[in-house]
Amino acid sequence: MLTTIVRVMIIYIIVLFLYRLMGKRQLGQMQPFELVLTLIIADLATIPMAEVSVPVLEGIVPLFTLVLIHFAITLLSKASTKFSHFVSGKPVIVINPNGIDYKALKNLNLSIDDITEAVRGAGYFKLEQVQYAIMETNGKMSVFPKSEFAPLTVGDMKLDVEKSALPINIISEGKILKNNLEIAKIDENFVLKLLKDANIKKVKDCLVLTIDKNGSVFAQPFYDKYITFNVEPLGQVSE
Amino acid sequence: MTRFMWFQLVSIFVIIALLTTICVVEDKLVQDALSNVKEYCYQIENAVVENEGIKNTKVNSLVENLEYSWLSDESKLCFVANHKSMQEIGVEIIKLKTYLEQDDIKEFSVSLRLIKLYADQYHHFMGADFRNVL
Repeated sequence: MLTTIVRVMIIYIIVLFLYRLMGKRQLGQMQPFELVLTLIIADLATIPMAEVSVPVLEGIVPLFTLVLIHFAITLLSKASTKFSHFVSGKPVIVINPNGIDYKALKNLNLSIDDITEAVRGAGYFKLEQVQYAIMETNGKMSVFPKSEFAPLTVGDMKLDVEKSALPINIISEGKILKNNLEIAKIDENFVLKLLKDANIKKVKDCLVLTIDKNGSVFAQPFYDKYITFNVEPLGQVSE
Repeated sequence: MTRFMWFQLVSIFVIIALLTTICVVEDKLVQDALSNVKEYCYQIENAVVENEGIKNTKVNSLVENLEYSWLSDESKLCFVANHKSMQEIGVEIIKLKTYLEQDDIKEFSVSLRLIKLYADQYHHFMGADFRNVL
């Protein structure tokens, strides 16, 4: 049993390392070759875990080889559009201004139900609201609505609004995030002043404190209601 | 190049180096182990012919050497191959020693031939051999 525990630890660490090495794509964003790779890796990793007579190397070597193949395919896909289309396919327009392209639908092995479901998923319940729907290479459907059905934006209204700014976490679960202090270009004394303004006595009493470029502060103690207030705009926050 | 790209690049080179090393070491281990076994088998066969029988110190010491050599090689081979797939040689060596004690030359020769056969057959799943690819 001890052997199994150690083997599981080794293989888990290696698989984790390999997934980190390959990047941060989520399951729904995978290209076909990435999905194949994930399935094979999952299968291969279990063999030396479950079978003690199989050397760990017999599990690790195929994993490493698959990662090399993955990098080769990724590099070739970046270098050649033709190769990229070959392994990942091309985005296909399934709805155009004339309606559903049934030929494209048949080529993709999709049904009308699949299309209507994807369109509903995008927030449109009538097909006539859609100008274009594109089946992406990762299997997701992008929907471009007709202008009369598109959501209204601030740009459409030509309103002058304050530019949105990314809030930066300064305190998280009672600890100051030193890296984020540098990003926000503030020091610990400033953080203590913010805490005082938020009626929080100590750093360790603060659940979360964020601040953005516009000087908008959000602070919440561990077991109390949050408070928001504004300070002078930081002006120098690097986003 | 970002830090992550450097990390990827270095990792790829490390993986390539690791895979190459594993392949070379595996091939060397397999070739050495199996050629040692075959070499001992030929020596035992010659000793049996020269001494006109198996009940003698030369054959006895060669069988002991064969067992010692295989056990030490087998423990190394376990890192690169499933040891369940290569246990036949060990079993036949034990039989060889039993037939030696019983002075059963017929069964002794059969075991010796089987060991040589296994040493040939193990190449089918161990080491580098393009016949195994397909």
